[in-house]
Amino acid sequence: MEIIDNLVQNYFYLVAIILFIIGMHTMLTHSNLVKKVIAMNIMDTSVFLLFVAVGYVHGGAPPLVEIPAGTETYINPLPSVLILTGIIVALSVTAFALSLVTKIYEYYGTCDADEIADLRSEE
Amino acid sequence: MDLISHFPVILVINLFIFAFAMPLISRRSNNWATIAASFSLILSFAISITLLLKVLDTGAISYYLGGWPPPFGIEFYIDYLSAYMLIVLTGMGLLIFYYGTASLPFEIGRHMVGWYYTLYLLLIGAMLGIAITNDLFNLFVFMEISAIAACAIISIKKDRECLEASFKYLILSAMGTGCYLLAVALIYMITGVLNFDMVREVLVDNIALYPNNVLVALALIGVCFCVKAALFPLHVWLPDAHASAPSPSSAVLSGLVIKIYAIALIHLMFRAFPLELFYQVPLTEIFLWLGAIAMILGSIFAMTQDIFKRMLAYSSVAQIGYVFLGIGLFNPTALLGGLLHILNHAIMKSMLFMIAGIIIYTKGLKKVREFDGMGSQLRWTMTAFIVGSASMVGIPITGGFISKWYLATGAFEADRPFFIGVIIASSLLNAIYYFPIAIRAFLGEPKPENLPVRPVLKHMLIPVVILTVLVFYIGMSPQEVVGILELAIDKLFAQ
Repeated sequence: MEIIDNLVQNYFYLVAIILFIIGMHTMLTHSNLVKKVIAMNIMDTSVFLLFVAVGYVHGGAPPLVEIPAGTETYINPLPSVLILTGIIVALSVTAFALSLVTKIYEYYGTCDADEIADLRSEE
Repeated sequence: MDLISHFPVILVINLFIFAFAMPLISRRSNNWATIAASFSLILSFAISITLLLKVLDTGAISYYLGGWPPPFGIEFYIDYLSAYMLIVLTGMGLLIFYYGTASLPFEIGRHMVGWYYTLYLLLIGAMLGIAITNDLFNLFVFMEISAIAACAIISIKKDRECLEASFKYLILSAMGTGCYLLAVALIYMITGVLNFDMVREVLVDNIALYPNNVLVALALIGVCFCVKAALFPLHVWLPDAHASAPSPSSAVLSGLVIKIYAIALIHLMFRAFPLELFYQVPLTEIFLWLGAIAMILGSIFAMTQDIFKRMLAYSSVAQIGYVFLGIGLFNPTALLGGLLHILNHAIMKSMLFMIAGIIIYTKGLKKVREFDGMGSQLRWTMTAFIVGSASMVGIPITGGFISKWYLATGAFEADRPFFIGVIIASSLLNAIYYFPIAIRAFLGEPKPENLPVRPVLKHMLIPVVILTVLVFYIGMSPQEVVGILELAIDKLFAQ
């Protein structure tokens, strides 16, 4: 029962892990290149979710200079800040991946990895 | 004098600044861009040498970015291993760049050269960052920069194979960094700090409380670096990517990029985790077996290849196995062999890819079986090829022999003689696919259609000659490199 209690209390970890697995599975098994890029984003986002959740303190105030009255503690700002950087990194990887997909479409006339493999084996 | 204390950051930043200035400068003329990029690389090389001397003189250097000490700020930490890696990266980077200045206009077109320099400098800068950073999250950022730059220097060639290979590489390396970021989140949950040394201090005390977090994080880090360094079952992206890329890209990708992740892994294992952990968790054992399988299977795959560059790419899969064998045996001698093999392989594989580039440039030949009688026409190049392949096989007086010797001694010290057999078997397999090419080139009957299209350019030949000399230098007097590495390994194991 202990494990179920833990899961209920920390359900956001579970959600993050499920999202991570969905993203990774789609990214590696799906043949559509655009869907691969989307799955990559889902995977990254799941990690961002986990990271931000780690920094949350129950009942904490936003980490501003003046803490609002009635709250004694504030949430950990560092994970949020790191994730800002993480989002930028994910954005640039996505942009680059999409530009590659458009180029691949120009050359092969398709966005499907299986069809591309067929085209290449015909050569 | 104050400037010297800022050298660690100037080393990285100068490359980034020049990288983004490059498209502007190349609008004026490509020659200017070449001069500016060379200046930036030479500056980084000079700084690396200064840093190595300083580290040898006074011990490890810490540098706090922006003056903020950890845990608030990012720390750059240069110990013997980082300093060694800085020299390898900047030195090899400079030679490959010099080669690239001659071969790039031919391979990707004159108007793209400035953009290529941007990506190249970004890649070298990011790799230098990976080698010296002491912060988990900063490592992630540098890894992503180097991943994007590495994919982009493949896809810059207007060729559909390159695009597809580059996309495959990007997706797999994004998976790797995703795993790494998840591992960082799991470690941050326990420790609340990101600095390697602080993480280790917290983990030493608290590891018993959160064993699952640490185990999962280790597994994810293992997967991440296996993908990035192309260790055997996760090497699928490497052959396409390295074989289709322009020759300077192949040289830098095979020679440096896959190795830097092995270095990052060693940094993480020895600095961010308690050493006792690896005697309880079978991570090193996994690396050991995967490395051994890679050494054998990589060579067998290479034997079946028809295209020269593809053969070299599969050979890289085998050679990264040696590095991981050194990590997996987990004793100082074997690790020294692995680290030395990073340098040796960087030298010889870059040289072989440059030779492949020269052959494509002068004759337009890509397939091994068309190489008949090449030795009489490309005398210097093919002599260098013999030296490179001898070093790959591990003939004494070449560099490859020294690193294999240390690996075998390490296997003996660890009481695992089986792996000595694996090293010998892999070397014999290397001989089976490298030497027939040399025999074909020197003893084969030249075909009339094989006449050179163009003469060899001096800029392409000079780096190859320098690397040939280096192979012999390391093979005959390895004491200096081994001396630095012994200091590095003492420090890693002393912890």
